[in-house]
Amino acid sequence: MQLKMFVLSGAAVALWLVPLTALDKRIGWHKSMQGLTLCAAIACAVTAGNLAREQAEQNEIEEIKARAINADVVDEIATSAYISQQQRQQEAEQILNPVEALERALALPDADVERSLEPEIKQLAENGQNGSENFESERAERALQLKAKGWGKAKIILEVWGVSKGGSPKYKAAEAEYRRLTETG
Amino acid sequence: MRAIHLANYFVAGCIAFSLLGWVASLHLIACRAIAFLTAAAFTVWGLCWLLDFSVSSLLKISVSSLQAFLLALLAAGALGAGVFLCS
Repeated sequence: MQLKMFVLSGAAVALWLVPLTALDKRIGWHKSMQGLTLCAAIACAVTAGNLAREQAEQNEIEEIKARAINADVVDEIATSAYISQQQRQQEAEQILNPVEALERALALPDADVERSLEPEIKQLAENGQNGSENFESERAERALQLKAKGWGKAKIILEVWGVSKGGSPKYKAAEAEYRRLTETG
Repeated sequence: MRAIHLANYFVAGCIAFSLLGWVASLHLIACRAIAFLTAAAFTVWGLCWLLDFSVSSLLKISVSSLQAFLLALLAAGALGAGVFLCS
């Protein structure tokens, strides 16, 4: 296509200049040849111009396609980077959450996983122990307060432990704990 | 490629003006007709150059494009006629 275009361009210039300079205007057939070559030269130049215009339009379309593909690729990379960053952030948050870590450790009883999550498990166990101790001390404090107010044992057990008086094992356990707390307190 | 496209059309314009000169050289009446046409075309060219904003809005092209086209037309006419007269 390009070769044809260049040949036509060169032919147009040659057909324009060569007959005008080489042929004699006073000779009849020379003059006729000049007219014919000028018409042919115009045709060649216009054809070459049309070919060049088509080529230029195709190049523009190719450039637009290339730009669109580049934009798509860049957008895809940016989206995947954003998604992977979000995933990493979520994973980090899950790892930092000790409850999640414990659940994962229980769900995946792999030795390596347990070993890697050992600090979090220890921290959780300590937190749980501290929580039960705190709860027990609160109970003791509440029971002592009620006792100081002059409440009876059965009423205090009902208030603090939620167990009514009777021979049930729950009441006996609550009574034993009440005694232990009031004696130690 | 766009430059080649424009250059080919410019060469075609030059050859067209040479062809007009060749036609004018055929007969006296043809010469007068071509001279009249050239004078009319030059007048229109001058009006377009002076009324460039109106003509550009009429043709829906930019003023710079119209001026470039007019200058290219003038250069092609001068070159084509010059080549024919000097040959």
